[in-house]
Amino acid sequence: MKKQERHNLEYLAAWLLILAFFAWTVNLLLNVQSDWAQSNEVTRIDQDVHALVNPWRNLNRPGNDVLENYAVESQAVALERYLAEYAAARASLEPHRTATVPMTDFFAGMDEAAATAEALASRVLQLAADRENLRRSGATPNSIRLVETEAATTMARMDQTFQNGLDLIVGMDERLDGRLLALVASRRASIGSLYLILLVALLSSVASLVLLRRTAKQGAALRSGAERINAIVNNVVDGIITVDDAGTVESFNRTAEEIFGYDAAGIVGRPFIELIDPESSAQNDETALGHGESEHLARRQDGSTFPMELAATRVRVDGRALLVYIVRDIAERKQAEERLQLAAKVFESTTEGIMITDSDGDIQSTNPAFTAITGYTADEVIGRNPRILQSGVQSAEFYESMWQSITGTGHWQGEIQNRRKNGEIYPQWLNINAIKNARGQITSYVGVTFDISELKASERLKDEFIATVSHELRTPLTSIHGSLRLLEGGVAGELSDDAAKLIKIAQDNSQRLVRLIDDILSIAKIESERMQFHLQPVVIDDLVARAIEANHDFATQYGVSLQAESGVPEARVLADRDRLMQVLTNLLSNAVKHSPRDGVVRVGVRRHDEFWRVDVVDNGLGVPESFRDNVFSKFAQADGSDRRKGGGTGLGLSICKAIIDRLGGRIGFDSEAGVRTSFHFDLPVMQRQAIADVVSA
Amino acid sequence: MTDATLSRILYVEDDADIREVVRMSLQTLGKFEVAACDSCAAALELVDEFNPELLLLDVMMPDVDGPTTLRKLRERASAVGAPAIFITAKVQAGDMARYRNMGVLDVIVKPFDPMLLSSRVEQIWRGNRSKSNDDVG
Repeated sequence: MKKQERHNLEYLAAWLLILAFFAWTVNLLLNVQSDWAQSNEVTRIDQDVHALVNPWRNLNRPGNDVLENYAVESQAVALERYLAEYAAARASLEPHRTATVPMTDFFAGMDEAAATAEALASRVLQLAADRENLRRSGATPNSIRLVETEAATTMARMDQTFQNGLDLIVGMDERLDGRLLALVASRRASIGSLYLILLVALLSSVASLVLLRRTAKQGAALRSGAERINAIVNNVVDGIITVDDAGTVESFNRTAEEIFGYDAAGIVGRPFIELIDPESSAQNDETALGHGESEHLARRQDGSTFPMELAATRVRVDGRALLVYIVRDIAERKQAEERLQLAAKVFESTTEGIMITDSDGDIQSTNPAFTAITGYTADEVIGRNPRILQSGVQSAEFYESMWQSITGTGHWQGEIQNRRKNGEIYPQWLNINAIKNARGQITSYVGVTFDISELKASERLKDEFIATVSHELRTPLTSIHGSLRLLEGGVAGELSDDAAKLIKIAQDNSQRLVRLIDDILSIAKIESERMQFHLQPVVIDDLVARAIEANHDFATQYGVSLQAESGVPEARVLADRDRLMQVLTNLLSNAVKHSPRDGVVRVGVRRHDEFWRVDVVDNGLGVPESFRDNVFSKFAQADGSDRRKGGGTGLGLSICKAIIDRLGGRIGFDSEAGVRTSFHFDLPVMQRQAIADVVSA
Repeated sequence: MTDATLSRILYVEDDADIREVVRMSLQTLGKFEVAACDSCAAALELVDEFNPELLLLDVMMPDVDGPTTLRKLRERASAVGAPAIFITAKVQAGDMARYRNMGVLDVIVKPFDPMLLSSRVEQIWRGNRSKSNDDVG
């Protein structure tokens, strides 16, 4: 039997029981009431009947003497008494003739007895009169005797009648007493039953109260349980959706609303499959949705899709089969997984060797590139200290300062020589980073390294190439230039004017070639960062004075004068003096070449934010608009004619820019044609502490 | 010794054209006596007989380079204390300092001006002599 049906029957039975009890109680009350009424009546009748018993029993009935003596007079008295008793009894009992107590037989008996008594009495009186008449007439004693005998017999019958009445009354009295006793017993029983009922009712009430209380408690518990479950269901981070047998959504918790963008009201009652993207394979295989955990492409109300993890559980609630789905938007997790997979792929496929150690420095993991570089497989090094790679080339102090840097800043990078498994020593670039957890404790170190043997080899090749080019180009130029100079100088005899002119042309161009080679080599070296910069504090005023002095002759050739504006003796920068001189010389010679005759080139120094700015200002034609973007480009010259006129290589400003960039500064210009053109560079203001550091180093 | 003049220069240079230009410049303009050799070996053959007062050496040469040539020449009694000047196209960062550490007075960078070469060489030589005398004195 189903639980619900059983529960309903129990309910019905309980009600029937209560009704039966009620009926019984009413019946008992009615019984008690009728018993009470009856017993009152019976008591009254009994009193009346009982009142008759003693007078009737004690009545001085006519004895044999009366009969034998034929004492008619005394018989008549007895008769009258009998009749009076009957009359009194009937009078006293007459009101009870209609009583509910069954007394029909009694009254019938009494009526009959009374009627018989009256008939007998009148016969006795007749016989008495007859005897008197006979005696007066003097009839024979036998005839008188005959009347007297009949009178005596009638009298005896009369007495018998009275005895019958007495029996009736006594019988009635006893019956009434019995009835009264029965009524009292019945009433007692009823009252006992009532007490019982009362007790049952009381117990029931108490039990009901207890039950009610418990039920109330259970109800409250159930209610709060249901509320709690609701609260939980609505606040869990997972979406919870229940679906009935037919695949229809029954409930949709708050998180599910957030995930799918539906209001619960908007999706409850609709097919669950609407939440799955039409492209998803689950659309064709709905059974895939009803089993355990699975992943699907889900669709939001706005039509957008997302990867969803689905966990299905079948439950029975109130006898109904339900599917409970726990859904989770796993887009972020997917992305994280993809990122992790990507990171793992990078780890596996990168050409940089990666080594991860724990906080004690023991190797935890290495990648294939590490094996390719060092020759050690992961199995061979895991659990060991990276010390096995040490070549002995670096000093103990080197490693000490490396560890100081790692423990201090969490980072170290630099070039280091290590030893491969086969004993070969190789140069590598190593980058070590400490990895910290959320509490800031170091959990591991990651070393990323790449073998720079080839890079080093190619650097050497490049250096050699530059040296070779430098040498091979300069050697022929040296003899060309030298020969021309000796010719020009008359070492080989006097020259004609034309010959001197032609030799001058060859001479100028060979000089230009030399400058070009110098510039190309120097820019190549600066840009490849292999030109060493000897940084030292440079007092800008001194530098400017020297540059002006060095370029004085050159400027004079162009009829231009060079002037230093009022100095700023405290202006100092950290720079390579020779390179900075090269920059200043370049800017000065450019300014001179672009100044009109009798022009003035001024060099100024001033503070510009956190920089010292050196300005080289002329009043020449300025930088043409069309050229401004290319001023610092290689081989850039505003006018092809400049090349001949100025003899420049078109590399000067790009060299300046490369040098200033290397020094951490910036270079720029502003130009107003014919009025003022300024080329300037800014270098960071040197702090006193930095100066001290450099000087002590 | 301050009034002494430089006269004998042993010059080693593998490039014949440059050798000729330098020789002409030093002889014609500087009036020096120049022994110009094309290699270390040739210089070693000449050095004892020539007894140079100054060694002028190219740095980059096939077979034996300038610094080695200098070392070998100085192993000879005739050149053991001879001052030297390198003349080279190969000047990389740091080269100058390295050369000076090898005991040369100075480095003349190619291309140079042959019209001024003689006076430059003499100037370097004199500078060294006066410094040596100061040291002695």
